[in-house]
Amino acid sequence: MQRLAEIEIPSELLAAARAGDRGARGALFERLAPATLAIIRRLVAHRQLAEDLLQDTLIAMFEHLDDFRGEAPFGVWVRSIAVSRCLMAFRSPWQRARVALESFSDPAALLPVEPEGRASDLIDLDRAFARLSPVTRAVVWLYDVEGWSHEEIARSFERTVSFSKSQLARGHARLRDDLSAPVAAVACATVKE
Amino acid sequence: MAPSSMEMADTRDLEIAARLRRLDASAGPASPGFDYDTMLGRHAARQVRARRSHALARGLAGALAIALVSLSVWRFGPLDASPVAANATPESAPRVLPQPRIVRADTYLPVAALEDHIASIDDALNDARLRAGPADVARLERTRAELIDSYARVRYAEMLSANL
Repeated sequence: MQRLAEIEIPSELLAAARAGDRGARGALFERLAPATLAIIRRLVAHRQLAEDLLQDTLIAMFEHLDDFRGEAPFGVWVRSIAVSRCLMAFRSPWQRARVALESFSDPAALLPVEPEGRASDLIDLDRAFARLSPVTRAVVWLYDVEGWSHEEIARSFERTVSFSKSQLARGHARLRDDLSAPVAAVACATVKE
Repeated sequence: MAPSSMEMADTRDLEIAARLRRLDASAGPASPGFDYDTMLGRHAARQVRARRSHALARGLAGALAIALVSLSVWRFGPLDASPVAANATPESAPRVLPQPRIVRADTYLPVAALEDHIASIDDALNDARLRAGPADVARLERTRAELIDSYARVRYAEMLSANL
């Protein structure tokens, strides 16, 4: 699957979508929705919340199409909207309560769901990553995978660069611990949380 | 030369980052549970719900504001600012009891009953000063001070209601 930040949109399609063409907007949705959902799922690790945030992101994208100036690939711009929506959800007490309640009543609401044939070490990593706190998870993913700098992360979170660095170090340490711990110990640690 | 602990930590961090990128690359296609038209429908439905919630919140806020305004009719002034209390006799001054700031006027005795009660306490005080001990006099003075205070509040409430 193509990563969101690498998705370029032809200018004709963009112009038609800006003009309100329904077909063009639908095509834009088809091109962007899967990759956008992928990154949102990584950050929030909750199925229903991820879909709600995807909707918020894409609606915001359609409403602000005129604000896109073309300085970076279109996918990068959409990614910044998606990340911003995820951070807003992290800050919202209502969303936090909702995730906690839904995770309690329906454990299947929690991600990840591993695709078939994935290597076992990646399955372990996937699970360990989903166990990180939402903020730590977001910092680790944005830095390690999306290639954001500590300055960019700090700006997005409205925090300092040291916040980003400490979250990253904490996240890495936690992942190392989880991946090196026996399975039973990790399960107990998760229950204790 | 053996690597330092910082170099080892860096290496392990790089290893984790590399594994996370592999995890990202191995992810299957994520398909949302709705298409473009469904998304617009869901968005419209959510906006309707939000508008209803706002209308309900506005209604509740209005009702609350009306309730507060109504309550303010029954709100009496602070104890030390009540006009009649300032004119109370010196013997009522020593003890000022804390009183609720918002009270209901119908919980008070009618003015006439209060006046009668104060008059009877005055009689009892005169009698006590002649025949009883200082403890009885002090108790009656405290009772009189409290009655004077209540009387002042009732009259002040009457004045506020008359001005509204």
